[in-house]
Amino acid sequence: MATLLPFHKNILEKIHDPATSELVLLARGLGLRRIICKLLQIYDSPQNLVLLVNATPEEEAAIGEELGIMGCRHPGLRIVGFETGRKDRQDLYKKGGLVSITSQIFTVDMLTSDIPTHLITGILVLHAERVTPTSAEAFIVRLYREKNKNGFLKAFSDQPEHITSGLSPLRTVMKELQLRTVHIYPRFHADIKESLDRKTPDIVELHQEMTEAMSEIHNAIVQCMSTTLSELKRANTMYDLDDLTIDNAYFRSFDMIVRRILDPVWHKVGPRTKQLVSDLATLRRLLTYLLTYDALAFHAYLETLIASNTTSESGNTRQHQSPWMLTDAANIIFQYAKRRCYVMSSASKAAPPKTIDLTGEDYEWAILEEMEAEERGRPSGSGNGKEKRKRWLPQGMEPVLEELPKWFLLADVLQEIEEEMIRREPMLSSLSPGTNTVLVMASSLHTCTLIKDFLATMDADAPRGSQGRRMMEDKLRLYLWWKGKLSERKAEGKGPIALPKGKDNAQDEISEALKRKDREKQDRAASRRRVRGGAPAPAALAQDLQLFTMDDDFDTHYGLLAPEQTVLVRPYSDDSDDQVLQEIKPRFIVMYEPNLEFIRRIEVYRNSNPGLGVRVYFMMYKLSCEEGKYLTGLRREKESFERLIKERGSMLMPIYEDRTTPAGEALIKTISTRIAGGRKEVSSEPARVVVDMREFRSSLPSLLHASGLLVLPLTLTVGDYILTPDICVERKSIPDLISSFNSGRLYTQCELMSAHYKQPILLIEFEEHKSFSLEAVADVKSFVKSNKYPPKKKADPRSDTASSAPQSIQSKLVLLTLTFPRVRIIWSSSPYATAEIFNDLKTLSAEPDPAKAVLVGAEEDPDAGAGVNAAAEELLRSLPGITAKNVKHVMSRVRSVRELCDLEMKDVQEILGVEPGKACWEFIHRGETRRGLSAS
Amino acid sequence: PVVVPGGGNNIIVNPCQRGNPVLECIRNVGKEFGDILADYQVGRTTGVLFLSLRYHRLHPEYVHQRIEKLGHAYNLRILLLMCDVSEHQDPIRELTKICLINEITVMVAWNAEEAGYYLSTYKQFEHKPPDLIKERVDKDYHSVLRTALTSISKVNKTDVETLRTSFGSFAAVSRASSEQLQNLPGFGQVKAKRIQDAFNKPFRNSS
Repeated sequence: MATLLPFHKNILEKIHDPATSELVLLARGLGLRRIICKLLQIYDSPQNLVLLVNATPEEEAAIGEELGIMGCRHPGLRIVGFETGRKDRQDLYKKGGLVSITSQIFTVDMLTSDIPTHLITGILVLHAERVTPTSAEAFIVRLYREKNKNGFLKAFSDQPEHITSGLSPLRTVMKELQLRTVHIYPRFHADIKESLDRKTPDIVELHQEMTEAMSEIHNAIVQCMSTTLSELKRANTMYDLDDLTIDNAYFRSFDMIVRRILDPVWHKVGPRTKQLVSDLATLRRLLTYLLTYDALAFHAYLETLIASNTTSESGNTRQHQSPWMLTDAANIIFQYAKRRCYVMSSASKAAPPKTIDLTGEDYEWAILEEMEAEERGRPSGSGNGKEKRKRWLPQGMEPVLEELPKWFLLADVLQEIEEEMIRREPMLSSLSPGTNTVLVMASSLHTCTLIKDFLATMDADAPRGSQGRRMMEDKLRLYLWWKGKLSERKAEGKGPIALPKGKDNAQDEISEALKRKDREKQDRAASRRRVRGGAPAPAALAQDLQLFTMDDDFDTHYGLLAPEQTVLVRPYSDDSDDQVLQEIKPRFIVMYEPNLEFIRRIEVYRNSNPGLGVRVYFMMYKLSCEEGKYLTGLRREKESFERLIKERGSMLMPIYEDRTTPAGEALIKTISTRIAGGRKEVSSEPARVVVDMREFRSSLPSLLHASGLLVLPLTLTVGDYILTPDICVERKSIPDLISSFNSGRLYTQCELMSAHYKQPILLIEFEEHKSFSLEAVADVKSFVKSNKYPPKKKADPRSDTASSAPQSIQSKLVLLTLTFPRVRIIWSSSPYATAEIFNDLKTLSAEPDPAKAVLVGAEEDPDAGAGVNAAAEELLRSLPGITAKNVKHVMSRVRSVRELCDLEMKDVQEILGVEPGKACWEFIHRGETRRGLSAS
Repeated sequence: PVVVPGGGNNIIVNPCQRGNPVLECIRNVGKEFGDILADYQVGRTTGVLFLSLRYHRLHPEYVHQRIEKLGHAYNLRILLLMCDVSEHQDPIRELTKICLINEITVMVAWNAEEAGYYLSTYKQFEHKPPDLIKERVDKDYHSVLRTALTSISKVNKTDVETLRTSFGSFAAVSRASSEQLQNLPGFGQVKAKRIQDAFNKPFRNSS
């Protein structure tokens, strides 16, 4: 179990009181999960009902596990998901205890009173930074506070950066959660400082120089970024783009900033601006790839970029080329990236560097021979391998294969650690804490794989800079094969293919399975390192071979492993890293890439394990974006905390008044003169809307509730919202609209609505703050892109077939209104507008009957009476060869689809006619005949 | 000179629309002026009223008069709104309500180009069957199979893939037993029952 440091205890003391509600903001990496788990442990009792909201599945699992370790096992944290039936949920709530629940189910259960809202002891909300006025959490809090004034609500967040965008953002979060207290714990908080600065880990900062080529490329990319950025600013002078700086552009959130600024006008900015925005993202990716990918992968990525940039999907030259690609700086990038991999010797310049003579089988044989030769020739030393020229190398290609400088830095560090271990050995007794496992942390799984590969194939005696030669040569071979594929594809006029991912995937799978045990062995005695779990495999064939040899000596090498020889490579993840540290208790940690949170985790780890000396090697490229990113990240976090503290100081605390009771509103409604001068019966029923259960994923139900309507969640077959006995609404967001036009679902839905309701309505809902226009839709999916006004097709609509060019969303809407003249359309610019419109429409008429609404269109039981098996009919209709005309005939001839499937080809042909019959029969039996053929 | 409306292939335009920039944007169909109740008659049974929100702001009573005059003249009555103001929320809400009462369908365009496109499309699609927005069956095997099997409720694309890989053919799926189906990943009792019902239950219950 994770120990609590003094500052953890202080925080818990402040917040554990079940009578208070508050928001806790803690800096990342300081162990928020420990606090939450401890808190849950305190509240765990059958008398309490404590709900955990907004946890991701991974978090749920991890928290559950940690609670189990801490001793609350009976019954511990229960997880309510979609699988849990309604009855089970009700029982679960009655029994009390700790329950983790998804927001959607929680909302529905509160609305249907499945959950005894007034009896809830309290709610813990994770990820409070995501709370917005339209989010499900806001709805939950509103419903909760309506019936329960005494329960607590504790919200947590460790992402202060998220709460600082917009106008008085902290206040919005507090208002939506109806909280009045906020505790802010940055790293520079006095308590935390005191606890963590007592014992500091021994940090060795290693600033590695980039190679010359790398820094050239690095500079060029940064130059490209600033050109693109200034281009972007120049193209959009009317908007406030001051936030867009190079520093910001290092972060992924930069795209969000740009989208936020440009979203309201996104349909007005030209394709050029859009191109520039996406270019910035590409360049930012390039920067990280430069530092983390090996030279070949980087070069290959650049080539794909060029290929995808110069040709469009249809094979023509693209119109809007990325401007940065045409600059001198880009040329530098491409030149140096190539030079890092290989150079073409001048002698063979005349001959075209045809790289792919070996394809298919020949090539695989070549690899096999190569591998065998290596196996045989290994004892005699790797020296001769270098002398003789590799056979698969194309004429005139001189491999350079520059290695990443951090690799040999890592090798050095591991060497040093080993010496240090030996030095310390006599001083350690068996009681002293910690193990000699070396933990290497990197930013991504890709980097981890690369490091593992490198360590596994490293040649320790080789001079610096060529220790990973073997791995690089394997990679070069893979690259040449890929390059061949790329040019083949180009010749066919198709787009580029992705990098061969097979190897990576295979390794991902393995490391996934062995996540807990992905130990890597470092076998010094044999002067050769091996990786457990993922062997480097240059190609599929070679992989088999390698795996085979690994199985062979598995027992000798992997039976029992002394921890001294273990190197564990892991990517950074969330709070579960704390647990990793606690479990492994390493004395030596290598941070391959800088990570702010992890340093804090190490600090916490160091201070919760007194007497354990931790040495951290912290690697960073000098003067690189990595450094810039790390420092900016630090500064940003500090600034956002400062801003939040300031805002807390000057914040106007909202006073929460009781919402007017529904009865009062109903009274106002009854005396409203709008109700036909009292002609209608005066009802004191509250205004209500029946809402389909599935609609609770959207924000509209929450806003309807906020606008004073009673929301009844039910499972509806027809429509999403039933406003009055006559009005039925089908809500479509824009992406929904497009996809359901394509799938034809909308047609069926409109058909059903028209059949069952007097006033079927299609609600087209745009998003708040996004442009209110269908023009922007072109972005959502590619198929409505260019053919908006295809003049030729339009000229004679009757001649175009259903399978012809994609139609624009507008023309589909036109067709829909022509087909269903009774369907009305509501155009709503945001969910807020929708709520107003709904309220407007409801002032006129009676309330919907929920019982009726549920029954409408519900599937008839196929067994009942002289029923029609609609599902079977639908299935039959969708088979090839069966049309709306002959479907009746078919149904009279065969009793069921099954029967049709059992018929011989000639019988089917007899029913359907020769051609359609053949098509139908072949469709039905397609997989079978194939299998039969391949088996024979 | 006002021409008497005919039933041909032209959009009939109310003379009061003269000078409307939208007219320029009606392409690929003929236009003629004629004495009609609506602003544009884009089909025998379809009439369109045109309203620019900017104009509506100045003359809020105009559209009411037109709607009143239009009455129940066409089978499909359309109010083509041109959303050319930034404060569109309130007028659209109000117009939506009026149109609902008067059984008029609202269409919103954001510029003259789009409005013209709507008008010409209405004319062109006058006799078009709704195949375009109906479920389109693609020709290749996998998409036909997908459409066929997903027509059974609760079955999604992933399930189709699961069914295809574990049984091989459509016929084999039809012969699958309930237990076999339930053993597949992602299949529960309900889904298995739905599939069985669709395949094995007769089309018409003769009893």
